[in-house]
Amino acid sequence: MTQTDTGARIPSIPSESTVRLAIEGDAAAREELARSCQRAAFLFALQLVGQRDDALDLAQEAVLRLFVSLRRLDSSRPVRPYLLRIVRNLVCDRARRSRVRPVQPLATSEDGLLLEPADPDLDPEARAARREIQRLVWTVVQGLSAEHREVIALRDYLDLSYDEIATTLKIARGTVMSRLHRARQQLRRRVKSRLEGGAEVSHA
Amino acid sequence: MRERCPSGFDVTLVSGYLDHELTQAREQQVRVHLEDCAHCRALLEELTSIREATMSTRFREPLDSQWDERPRGGVSLGARGLGWLLVIVWLIVVSGFGLWHAWVESEGLFERLIIFGGLSGAALLFLSVLLDRIPSARSDRYRGVQK
Repeated sequence: MTQTDTGARIPSIPSESTVRLAIEGDAAAREELARSCQRAAFLFALQLVGQRDDALDLAQEAVLRLFVSLRRLDSSRPVRPYLLRIVRNLVCDRARRSRVRPVQPLATSEDGLLLEPADPDLDPEARAARREIQRLVWTVVQGLSAEHREVIALRDYLDLSYDEIATTLKIARGTVMSRLHRARQQLRRRVKSRLEGGAEVSHA
Repeated sequence: MRERCPSGFDVTLVSGYLDHELTQAREQQVRVHLEDCAHCRALLEELTSIREATMSTRFREPLDSQWDERPRGGVSLGARGLGWLLVIVWLIVVSGFGLWHAWVESEGLFERLIIFGGLSGAALLFLSVLLDRIPSARSDRYRGVQK
């Protein structure tokens, strides 16, 4: 099997019953929960550290820690914020230990990004324009501060709700909105300046 | 640098509006404002474009085989811990009894020196290996993972 995206762009959210069955020890539910968590953890880690191998290690460890503490989970509450908080803590620990800048930019197309628009009906020109803007936005996101990058990753790449982001980052819902807006403003300004007076950020 | 709406409108709400995370009243307030404010309309349009770009970006994910390491279940971990505990207690009891027996049964200093000198050397070697292994086992990130 080759490296590939696995269908849906955003990992499915495990249902409450799946989480409950997994907690009770049901093998199929544990498998389903593990798969869903692995994808979410990997994507978030990738966005925080920018390196596939590191992201894989971090995701493995985060899922492992989640499963070790599975019995303490409340199945009625969403599991994603809890998992992503583990990923975030691991990334912080790792950065603290190695004292390196936590993010190395991904080499696009070869090492992480699949720059193929989800909409197959786009004509080739629109496709190329969309790919370009995707690459540019991703590059700029990688250069944002850790605080801004993580909130952009959670909302604009992983599509978490404000409540889920608030739980993940342990901040108030209002702070999520203001922080996200500041991050988007930064992102927007940098994208615009990189476009260097060319076409505005267009709807490709 | 924070960009402000010329009319003093709270532009943070534009992000909330884009994400459909506002209350109905707030959403209506933003909608009405957008009708009159070209600045905030342009802002919303640009933020929407960027969000479309991020939401349509896909990432290569690891091979299935790279995910083959699965977390062990709690029962497995518990059984392993209990097993180690029993083995350690058994070793201490048997070794203690063996040493006591050898001490009592042996006669003379020379015989005791031969038996306990060799045993002490072996025990020290074992202890040194154990002291090296315990810290590395503690920091092993995959100790709870089965292939």
